[in-house]
Amino acid sequence: MSLRLMQTRAMLVDAYRELNSKRLFWITMVLSALVVAVFGMFGINERGLTFLHWEWPLPFFNSKTIPPSLFYRFAFVNIGVPIWLTWIATSLALISTASIIPDFVAGGSIELTLSRPISRLRLFLTKFATGLLFVALQVSVFTLACFLVIAIRGGEIEWGIWLAVPIVVLFFSYLFSICALVGLITRSTIASLLITLLCWVACFAVNVTDAVFLQQRAQAEIAVIDNEKLVARRETQTRRLLRDAVERNQPFPIAKEGEDQLEVVNPVLKFTRRELAEARLALADWEYWTNISVAAKTFLPKTSETIGLLNRGLVSMDELKKLGLIQDESLDADLPEDPELTLDQSAKSDPKADGKTEAKPEPARRRRRGGPDPRGARIVEEQMRNRTTLWIIGTSLAFEAVILGIACVIFVRRDF
Amino acid sequence: MTAASSVAPSEWVIDLEHVSKTYAGGVQALRGIEMKVRRGEIFGLLGPNGAGKSTLVKILLTIIRPTQARGTLLGHPVGHKPSLARIGYLPEHHRFPGYLTGAQILDFYGAMSGVPRVDRRRRSAELLDLVGMTAWATRRVRGYSKGMRQRIGIAQALMANPDLVVLDEPTDGVDPVGRRDIRAMLLTLRDRGNTIFLNSHLLSELEMVCDRVAILVKGKVFSQGTIADLTAHRQCFEIEIADADPAQTLASALNLPPPATLQAAADAVPLGTLPSGIAATLTRTGLRLDTIEARDIQPVIDALRAKGCTIRSVRALRPSLEDLFMEAVIDPGTGAAHAPGAVESARQGGPQ
Repeated sequence: MSLRLMQTRAMLVDAYRELNSKRLFWITMVLSALVVAVFGMFGINERGLTFLHWEWPLPFFNSKTIPPSLFYRFAFVNIGVPIWLTWIATSLALISTASIIPDFVAGGSIELTLSRPISRLRLFLTKFATGLLFVALQVSVFTLACFLVIAIRGGEIEWGIWLAVPIVVLFFSYLFSICALVGLITRSTIASLLITLLCWVACFAVNVTDAVFLQQRAQAEIAVIDNEKLVARRETQTRRLLRDAVERNQPFPIAKEGEDQLEVVNPVLKFTRRELAEARLALADWEYWTNISVAAKTFLPKTSETIGLLNRGLVSMDELKKLGLIQDESLDADLPEDPELTLDQSAKSDPKADGKTEAKPEPARRRRRGGPDPRGARIVEEQMRNRTTLWIIGTSLAFEAVILGIACVIFVRRDF
Repeated sequence: MTAASSVAPSEWVIDLEHVSKTYAGGVQALRGIEMKVRRGEIFGLLGPNGAGKSTLVKILLTIIRPTQARGTLLGHPVGHKPSLARIGYLPEHHRFPGYLTGAQILDFYGAMSGVPRVDRRRRSAELLDLVGMTAWATRRVRGYSKGMRQRIGIAQALMANPDLVVLDEPTDGVDPVGRRDIRAMLLTLRDRGNTIFLNSHLLSELEMVCDRVAILVKGKVFSQGTIADLTAHRQCFEIEIADADPAQTLASALNLPPPATLQAAADAVPLGTLPSGIAATLTRTGLRLDTIEARDIQPVIDALRAKGCTIRSVRALRPSLEDLFMEAVIDPGTGAAHAPGAVESARQGGPQ
């Protein structure tokens, strides 16, 4: 066995022994087992959701509408990984591993390893890699258990869920790089843990902000599209009315100088055009803010999106529609028809009458009144899925490389 | 020229021509160290706190980066990483991971030094036996006493069967029996051809085992060589006489001007130089002659006997390592010990 291999193996075995001696490692393992057990106790049949022998009849959520394998896969991807592995198990992993680097560089300990025939760079990077062992073992065991649950209860062999292992380890490595750097500089476990948690929260906040901006931009985009259609339709409708009136020699309101003839005949059109202009301004604003948030995210680790890659890989857009999480309505879908416009109606609905519009609510506005347009969720999901894996992982790894690079320079140059 | 300088270059395990280290902030820990350690000897490094001993050892083991380092370690330039596979090291305040057992520690550090697994198992059993820790081999280190940790520390330093063993305070925390065992072990290792580099404050222990020593003071080698070489010019003979007024008697016997009476605080007063060129000093009980040759004192004894002096004893005196050490750390100007700590550079406005 070559010297390098022997040293790497020795450090990995040492890392395992260290984990083995930590109670928190086994506590997390037991909790993981409990989570998987609860996961397996839930089920879905032709009447609805089940838990052990209890049953909740759900007409739109049963095995006729959702295959059991999809149910378990969805639960794994949207509950098991993002909530359990990403938040709870990762927090426990950080608590357990935050001491690795400070203990490693502590006086009396570092001398024993630095005085071996191993370069400082390789020593530090190998130590960093062994710090990921905690999460790698936890995720592997959890995924194996979930794999068995999906196979036995869902009746499907889902090899894809093993993607969770590299994805969660990758996600943890972003945070552990910060933890390693702070631990190296401060030599304090508490400081490295707190600062890492703070950075994690900051990344999460940026992600949430980005999601909110995307949602707002999607809503503005929908408003622009709807209003453009509405304006076009009302212009056509008003032109037809005017043409008919001219052909039949019927009287109609004449526009004064500076006024638009169509708007004079159909005052609602003026309001719709104004709404379109406002929607375009709003879209420009949200595009500006979205670009800023994306630019900010480019330099930060994309924790949520990295975990989201699992969702992308395991649950397709069609399956999301099947689960009712996104609307199956196209942006090009026609808006509901307006009532037939007459010259009498157009005079009554003049918005200038009392300074406010009296026009009947238009379809585009009606949609937004009860909350965000459900088509927005699909746009956001599509936009998120359009962000390439290379961008998500590449830029996050670039961040990690910079942090680790700084840590390596400090470690290599420091006098211990 | 000392005996050391006549050794062939390949025989030097450590051959430092110029090693200096200035820390950030301007503290000059080492100011041009020049040192040679011969293969197969036990070499002792001593010096007061802040003299730079630990810094020097850490530079040799690549734990600290030198400001400048000219010289070789096991025939390679200082800082050559692969050479470290042939060096065993025990730091002063070492801290082994508490979750490992004694045997696991030997296995881990053996693997880090590149010892194959089969050899690790064999060496581990041998060394655990050597340091008397076989019964504790499977217990976790967190339950060990300080002395037991020290024994395991020495064992791990020997795992790779190193050519050079660097031990920093190896007997720290070890009971007297353990110390004796460690001394015996060091001598055995030396007899096998290993070179031992010892860093210790326990001068009496160093004196018992070291072939050569170096004394570091404020980042410089004050002196180095065998203890015999270092003390040769300080050896003397002391002649004790039974006389009520030794000063007058001795002065007249040796044809020297009578000295002033001994001051209460002084132990010795220079009496003068004899015709043979030997300096004579009056002590409370007799005479001290600065020579290592027994024949040089025969005329003095004859002169004293001719004057009817009663000679009570004639003793050859050799300074101890502690005397050498004290001589190194005492400022001749003030007579007080140097303040502990390294020298600050001129940039910082400190003394040079």
